[in-house]
Amino acid sequence: MENYTKYRLKSSEELIQTLAGTDHIFVVACNKCFKEFTSVDEPECDEFAALAKAGGKNVTGVIRVDFLCNKTQTLGRLRDIVPAETENVFVISCGLGIQTVADIVQLPVFAASDSIPCRGHHGMALTPKTCDACAQCYLNVTGGICPVVDCSKSLLNGQCGGAKDGKCEADPTKDCAWEKIQQKLAKLGRLEEFRNHPVQLRDYSKVNSKLISDYVRTIREKRFEGYYGGVHPSERKEMSAHVKLVRFPEPDVVVIPLSMHAGKPSVPLVKEGEHVRVGQRIGEQAGFIGASIHSSVSGTVLAVEERRHPTLGPGVLSVVIQNDKLNTVDESVRPHGDIEGLTPEEIVEIVKDNGIVGMGGAGFPAYVKLQPGKPIDAVLLNGCECEPMLTADYKVLLHYADDVIYGLRAIMKTVSAPRGVIVIEDNKPDAIAMLQEKTKGYESIEVLAVRTKYPQGAEKMLIKKVLGRSVPSGGLPADAGAVVSNVSSSKAIADAIRLGFPPIERVVCVTGERVHSPGNFIVKVGTSVQEILDFCGGIVGDDVTVKLGGPMMGIPQMELDVPVIKATNGIIAYEADHTTAVECIKCGRCADVCPMELFPLYFAKYVETGNIQGLKEQNIMDCMECRCCEYICSSKIPLVTKIREGKAAVRGMK
Amino acid sequence: MKITELFDRGEFVVSAEVGPPKGIHIDGLIEEAKKYLGGITAVNVTDNQSSVMRLGSLAVCRQLLDAGLTPIYQLTCRDRNRIALQSDLLSAAMFGIENILCLTGDHTSLGDHPGAKPVFDLDSVSLLHTVCQLESGVDLGGNPLIGDPPKFAKGAVVSPCSDSIDAQLAKMERKVLAGCDYFQTQAVFEPEKFIAFMERARQFGKPVQLGVIIPKSAGMCRYMNNNVAGVHVPDDMLDELAADKERAKAGITGVEIAARVIRECRPYCQGVHIMALGWESKVPALLEQVGI
Amino acid sequence: MLITKLKSREDLQSLLPEKVFVLLCNGCKEVSFPEQEIEELISEFLTADKVTGVLTTDYICNPENLSLRLKRRRAMIDEADGVLVFSCGVGVQTVSDLLDDKAVYAGCDTIRLPGFQGVTPLEYDCGQCGECYLNITGGICPVTACSKSLVNGQCGGAQNGRCEVDPNMECGWERIYRRLEAVGRLDAIKCPTQIRNFAIDANKSH
Repeated sequence: MENYTKYRLKSSEELIQTLAGTDHIFVVACNKCFKEFTSVDEPECDEFAALAKAGGKNVTGVIRVDFLCNKTQTLGRLRDIVPAETENVFVISCGLGIQTVADIVQLPVFAASDSIPCRGHHGMALTPKTCDACAQCYLNVTGGICPVVDCSKSLLNGQCGGAKDGKCEADPTKDCAWEKIQQKLAKLGRLEEFRNHPVQLRDYSKVNSKLISDYVRTIREKRFEGYYGGVHPSERKEMSAHVKLVRFPEPDVVVIPLSMHAGKPSVPLVKEGEHVRVGQRIGEQAGFIGASIHSSVSGTVLAVEERRHPTLGPGVLSVVIQNDKLNTVDESVRPHGDIEGLTPEEIVEIVKDNGIVGMGGAGFPAYVKLQPGKPIDAVLLNGCECEPMLTADYKVLLHYADDVIYGLRAIMKTVSAPRGVIVIEDNKPDAIAMLQEKTKGYESIEVLAVRTKYPQGAEKMLIKKVLGRSVPSGGLPADAGAVVSNVSSSKAIADAIRLGFPPIERVVCVTGERVHSPGNFIVKVGTSVQEILDFCGGIVGDDVTVKLGGPMMGIPQMELDVPVIKATNGIIAYEADHTTAVECIKCGRCADVCPMELFPLYFAKYVETGNIQGLKEQNIMDCMECRCCEYICSSKIPLVTKIREGKAAVRGMK
Repeated sequence: MKITELFDRGEFVVSAEVGPPKGIHIDGLIEEAKKYLGGITAVNVTDNQSSVMRLGSLAVCRQLLDAGLTPIYQLTCRDRNRIALQSDLLSAAMFGIENILCLTGDHTSLGDHPGAKPVFDLDSVSLLHTVCQLESGVDLGGNPLIGDPPKFAKGAVVSPCSDSIDAQLAKMERKVLAGCDYFQTQAVFEPEKFIAFMERARQFGKPVQLGVIIPKSAGMCRYMNNNVAGVHVPDDMLDELAADKERAKAGITGVEIAARVIRECRPYCQGVHIMALGWESKVPALLEQVGI
Repeated sequence: MLITKLKSREDLQSLLPEKVFVLLCNGCKEVSFPEQEIEELISEFLTADKVTGVLTTDYICNPENLSLRLKRRRAMIDEADGVLVFSCGVGVQTVSDLLDDKAVYAGCDTIRLPGFQGVTPLEYDCGQCGECYLNITGGICPVTACSKSLVNGQCGGAQNGRCEVDPNMECGWERIYRRLEAVGRLDAIKCPTQIRNFAIDANKSH
């Protein structure tokens, strides 16, 4: 890999001269970017501090910062850290970092370093290839060799007279670019084409400040929308967005795991041979964090045995039921009246009794969430469905808007929240319109349309966007005065109160370029994923990745003989991408997209070096594993895998 | 003759300006210059003004010299790097040109070759510095010149009516430190501003020629207000020009306005630089009205 | 930070051969990528039966991963007369290097936005001049904040504090003046005449 470090320390003479009129200096050094991340510390900082001290200067302090030009992060790092007696700040960085610091601090700022001139701009893999961004690409004329960067004079119409032995007159170690171009064109049989080209003239007005500043403005707006970080993957929702929501045909057999929630697996209440009915409790909640399990069909229990689980892998105790397809409802299923007539405690009991868990993927027992023990300013419903491809919550919003609103009102009552907000990403204008219409009559409920940006639907990001608050590190939404729930969970609460049904079925989106016929289905919990995919025409082609959930946080499935569980919002299949991970190149992208404002590159590095203390210092436990970092990583490092390793190590330390 | 000699004698130095054509025929230009600008001390020749490609300033200066006039060779840093600029300066000296005006130059995007590569290897300050180097017998690369070095009266420009007056004065100071001998200003239409500017510029101790344009019409002034940096024609002058279009077209109003400005500013400057912009024929009338 | 703009229809139509394999790079899409326009163009090409295959991937400037990803598409590439790449110039050059005997076409023009690391372009830039002037300008870069990259002060073109080249841009040297004033460093105005050195060697340290 090439080293594209952007700065080097100024000469000692120049530094001494600059230091001459100053004293009481604070030193800020950037930890560099675009070089192999082989060491954390860079030497320039110590070198400079030593020089200053040797010159009798009082160095009030020193700080090393990663990606100094990332102003959001740097503001945080420099806040309250510059000692009061400091009179001057010296910065060791490329010009971007120096300007960033000069923008932030009110003291005189000095450059202790020079940028390193470059010919052209490198890409994201630290190869020798560069591009001068001339905005008028000549590669079509030259067979793929750039005349602007490779020719010292940036000539566009052929060789000058200076080449000697195929080497450039300006730099004898460099090949004459035009000789290389000539050879390439000859090899491709494109010499005639080249001769017939009109004279090439560079147009320097193509790169102009208005063009650039327009881009900068638009992109910055998009990037800072709602909260720091996040990414905009291609939505790919058009595959299933317009497919009608239909009921999936009754499966012959369902496999219902006794663990479809965070916390302890439930205890089975039935055994082989027993007859069960729809809505009947078949698993007892075990422990405070846990949930009841109910049968999604009526029929006979074939077995209570270990089966493969979509997230927990093989060996999870499950109830296997032969479906008699009669849908005989259990007597325990009975409506509980209306919200008006129920107390908050009663609602909580209903939610607990029906084993309702977070249906957005997390599976956290809802009844626990409904007892925050803190004042709540607002209940936020996640109608964003920020994962690409998925359209399950979208269908829920369109088809079950009344239930979603009812569930929200129930939640608001239990936590005594004065305000309810249904947040929907702006890629669903019809859902927004529908909910706005239906919430007209409710003064305390509003619909908020937000700009699409993954992971807007994550609870901490919702709280940031809607309430402008940050959940404290290690804290919960309640600490920020909010309760966050998913729209499917809200519907489940409505069903439990109004109809008495536990979450025995849910909307599942089946989509992806490798699914023959994508669709949106109301699926009974326990239905086999294989069966669903077969119904959709099966998987197309080989070398396919199948996940339950979305492409970002979904769980890859090696075997398709797994059941749909309460939190399964999607089944996706797309072409597998095979890549090799290379050494981190400190491109800064992971730090730029992490919505928790963390530095994922350090997670990978410290896991590699076994520096568990370092992982703690970098707040690895705050990571929500949204995968923005892995998505953007130019070195294709499996960051989330490393993060999970790191978290396990930190937990093991306690 | 170097115009600095005249400044030194305390004379009120009057200069004018001609712009070369986009072509190679300048008989007309020379005739007009001889006819209308013959009595004036010196004549500037612009250098691809407004980034519009034209016949070279150096060539026209040479022709003016042959015709018995004193040219001021304007050089901008937009089109040529330090090598070409030094070379042209030596060429000018060889031709007998003794007065220069060093400018940074308008950006290429403003002219008729917007795709051209803007050079700006040097700027007005470093160009002045370069001239001083040459005058001392050494080029910018540190190489000694052969024979007697050139000697020039070195001028630069300043915008007294600019809205960034502090930055302009800062630049003016740097030009003085870099060796500037005299200044010509951007066109002034607001004597108060010029006077206020001169209060602050006096400290640099260099002669300043008031720049004036003979306004042709209200339309032209509005165009300048919107497009020419540092030039602002106040509303009452716009009204004056619009009041009688015939008088304006004949140049009478314009000359009156220019004369007023000169008269008011005269006690505060060491000369005047007239940018006739095609109205060279009106210059004698203007000088008469001002009493020069 | 490199981004791309789609070349004009006319440019592309005139230079493309009969059949092309299309390669799209989404690596820097998070910054900017003309995704929709390219999709429209590809549909047109598909309808006209011009395309032997399409691969949408990322970071094609990484030659190892590019090679891995193109392996499965070898037949489609062989069938085509050329490969049409929608990426920055680095990507196109990388593909051209890898597919040494195939005509490779750039479907985009490359532009650079201010900033090096991350995916968020900055509101200020570094010209990588190698002789940092920030010490005499109070921390505002004259090479990039001034359209002419002047290093000795303002030119005469500023109007209402705006640059003559781009009226949406503030005059860099006015900003510098104000900053020097704010941090009490107007003494920097008196510094010696600055002359750029365009020959600074990237490889030689001091």
